[in-house]
Amino acid sequence: MADTKYVGKTTRSKEGPRHVTGRGHFIDDIILPGMLHAVVLRSPHAHARLVSVDSKEAEAAPGVLAVITPEEIKRKSNPFKPGRYAAGLKRPIPEYATAMDKVRYVGEPVAAVAARKRGQAEDALELISVEYDPLPAVVDTAEAIRPAAALLFEELESNLAWKGSLHYGDVPTAFKQADKIVKEKLKIHRYSSTPLEPFACIASFDAASKKLTVWVNAQVPEVIYDALREAFGLEDIRVIIPDIGGGFGQKIHLIRKYVVIISLLAMKSGRPVKWIEDRSEHMMAAGHSCAQEFDVEAAVKKDGTVLGLKFKEIDDVGGSVSTLTIHFTNKLNNLSNTYKVKNIFLEGHSVVTNKCPVVPNRGIGKPAMCFIWERMMDRIAEELDLSPIEVRLVNLIQPQEMPFTTPSGNIYDSGDYPGLLKRALEKIDYEKLKEEQRREREHGRLLGIGVVIGVEPGGRNAARDMAIFPEMKETPGSGGVNGATVKLEKNGTVTLFLGSPNCGQSHETTTAQVAADILGIDPEQISTSTPFDSDLAPWGVAAANSGNNFHLYDIGAVHGAASRLKEKMLALAAHVLNARPDELTMSGGVIQAAGSPLKKVTFAELGRIAYGNQALMPKGFEAGLQTTFYYTFPHGEPNLVPGPGGLVRAQFTFSAGAHVAVVEVDRQTGKVHVLRYLVVGDNGTVINPDVVNGQIYGSAAHGISVALGEGFVYNSDGQLLTLTLTDYGKSSTVETPKIEIEHRPSPSPFTTLGQKAAGEGAAIPSPAAIASAVEDALKHLGVRVRELPLSPEAVWKLIQESGRLKDQG
Amino acid sequence: MKKTIQVTINGRTYTEDVEPRLLLAHFLRENIGLTGTHVGCVIGECGACSILLNGRLVKSCLLFAPQADGKEILTIEGLAANGALHPIQEAFVQCYGLQCGYCTPGMILAAHYLLMKNPDPTEEDIRKGLEGNLCMCTGYMQIVEAVKEAAKKLK
Repeated sequence: MADTKYVGKTTRSKEGPRHVTGRGHFIDDIILPGMLHAVVLRSPHAHARLVSVDSKEAEAAPGVLAVITPEEIKRKSNPFKPGRYAAGLKRPIPEYATAMDKVRYVGEPVAAVAARKRGQAEDALELISVEYDPLPAVVDTAEAIRPAAALLFEELESNLAWKGSLHYGDVPTAFKQADKIVKEKLKIHRYSSTPLEPFACIASFDAASKKLTVWVNAQVPEVIYDALREAFGLEDIRVIIPDIGGGFGQKIHLIRKYVVIISLLAMKSGRPVKWIEDRSEHMMAAGHSCAQEFDVEAAVKKDGTVLGLKFKEIDDVGGSVSTLTIHFTNKLNNLSNTYKVKNIFLEGHSVVTNKCPVVPNRGIGKPAMCFIWERMMDRIAEELDLSPIEVRLVNLIQPQEMPFTTPSGNIYDSGDYPGLLKRALEKIDYEKLKEEQRREREHGRLLGIGVVIGVEPGGRNAARDMAIFPEMKETPGSGGVNGATVKLEKNGTVTLFLGSPNCGQSHETTTAQVAADILGIDPEQISTSTPFDSDLAPWGVAAANSGNNFHLYDIGAVHGAASRLKEKMLALAAHVLNARPDELTMSGGVIQAAGSPLKKVTFAELGRIAYGNQALMPKGFEAGLQTTFYYTFPHGEPNLVPGPGGLVRAQFTFSAGAHVAVVEVDRQTGKVHVLRYLVVGDNGTVINPDVVNGQIYGSAAHGISVALGEGFVYNSDGQLLTLTLTDYGKSSTVETPKIEIEHRPSPSPFTTLGQKAAGEGAAIPSPAAIASAVEDALKHLGVRVRELPLSPEAVWKLIQESGRLKDQG
Repeated sequence: MKKTIQVTINGRTYTEDVEPRLLLAHFLRENIGLTGTHVGCVIGECGACSILLNGRLVKSCLLFAPQADGKEILTIEGLAANGALHPIQEAFVQCYGLQCGYCTPGMILAAHYLLMKNPDPTEEDIRKGLEGNLCMCTGYMQIVEAVKEAAKKLK
């Protein structure tokens, strides 16, 4: 775009004023006439047969209008179809909204009650009598795959629910040609992003017209829309998504279960029903990220060049097969990280256990893929006696190689990875820090510096998962589609109708900037229609607060729709002013003919003509000034659909960042203090610096908190021990370090404005950065970091186990 | 058995019959209709429901409504009126001190309380002052900046 008055600048937040005055519009703020309140009965067992559920007494309790049991769910709804998250599932396993014959994790929904008051529903819940026949809990992946282990799904005949592999290039030759094979075992734990607002929904069913309307804080309208259609065979479904109190992937998948349960309560009672999940329910049953274990081997030359990488992955996917392979398939998104390694082999094992099902979460498997690469780079450096920076530099894709096709078929659009890394080292003053580390070590201080690099893929390709499962019966679509509508109102203001919901990424602010530049007005004159409403929004498969889709699909759609509107306005103005469209300029809400100061028309005047004065419209002009544009990525080929050998564009744009963590480890307690944290990032054209910075700060802070201890802990009975945010270990203002950011953008040659993704980016390399820094602080004691989290307890144990501490005094 | 309580909220006095087990946070949201007070955990961990009770910062999910009987409450809706923003609210908008907005009302009231007690806080004071309010989106950087900016504006 030639003229960018607003793109690239921090404009005033459009979402801010309503939120700072308490006028944000969240699900729990909505009250409908006659609305009931629902609560969900959950399994106290990790693994048990469900012998019987008796709801008679609850149904008779004061205020109760409907109770739902598994028997009724089975009778009145269909199971969910295995979607792309379950790619590879070899035998269909019907999964309903509640448990059916068995419960497979603590907190699995079993029944639900709707009553006039929430308190009455809670009281009635205790009157539902459930008989369980407890089974041994399977909580450890190694135990789970032993032949004697209790089976979660008898139909699968094993708890190893999926196994598969992909190979790119010639891995055996790479390993034959290597000077050295560097091996490592790595592990990343279970965590979440714990949005502050838990799941929430309201369902209302109009039985006469068979229209089901749900208000839900879901990130992906399609998941809800499809779930309701499949569950009830209904066609007329309306999904309304108001402000969402944080998402991060958490509100994509499992929320559909509850929307089905609450909808059924609404159908049964004939009343609108509201359900607000509580915090402990969210912690135990709303979904976790996947604990992943890796056996990694790298084939390397003496100079550090990596010829090939092999890894075997074991995913602890919890008590559902509905997200069987997402943590594995997401490795395809950043399989090469920033490196030009040609030969890669990956083998996945998905093991079901009696824990909460796994769900998308800020990057899904990508933080682990980056962790693999960056831990290996440090290990290769150590084994070859090279500097870790040198090893990275030798393997980085060079800027002149862009666009770069990776062995798995991704096409990296742009980027200067060596530039990012070198700038990060310069800005942090790496050499000086290393010197300080040596000096301080003599005084007993344990300082460490971790330097890593990673990519942040953006814009999802729906066909990706077919790479591991080409025989998928129902294709999940391909590429992405999302739309936007732009309307010039009669009074001269502009309204945007976006195709996606917003859960805190300033969609309204950012899209207004893009439209304002095209239409030559101030973003203040643009408003966005909220909430998201599937009856109104021009939405498609990419209408998702997920997959880093916004920058690609929504910005592309708004840009397209606003450009189309401009063209239409110019055509109308040219007729009105008796001028040619190409001699008109648009600025400040006025269209002006060149060279004639009096030949001008305001947006409001045009609006009044377009909606009310046929005589002034040119012949053949379609009345109204409202345009819609559906965007698909114009550079989606090649590798849009996985071809032979599993080549696929998993995502379409590639942001990147070099991260430096400087830490101090407290020798006595194992506590890690982050002294400095720097991100030198490439997010392409930055539309609004404060918005992009906010995304980087937030995702880096989350990744750091994850690395330093936040996470879920189960005991051997499959009971979750971390039911509160405190037990879970979420960092507060005090533990969260200051984060420094520098932008070094390489605009994408493929996107509308050169923009790339910014959202989950810094959560991808930050766990690796902390691991690298902690190891650097403790390496001389013999400590090697192979596992997250690095909680004080874990670090203290590493120090003790290293055994050298005593010798060093 | 209901109890009659009288509470002054944002300068207006309300007399309501409430169940003794009703949480103050739910009382504000459901009985009075002030939905700016958000509920994130109901056990005092997250701070989204922070309000001022007789001038002190409290988590309204940790109190029952009858405990507010005869007292004065300030919620986010009472910080400024008629569309004007309080300098702290303005600073949060200006500095992008929020993303999803769920923690924001509680965070702003915590900042308000902090700045009443300490009009010239250091970065460390701000971080300590907001320790009881969790935000999952921002990494706190722009929130801390917003509070610094607010302190400037209030001078």
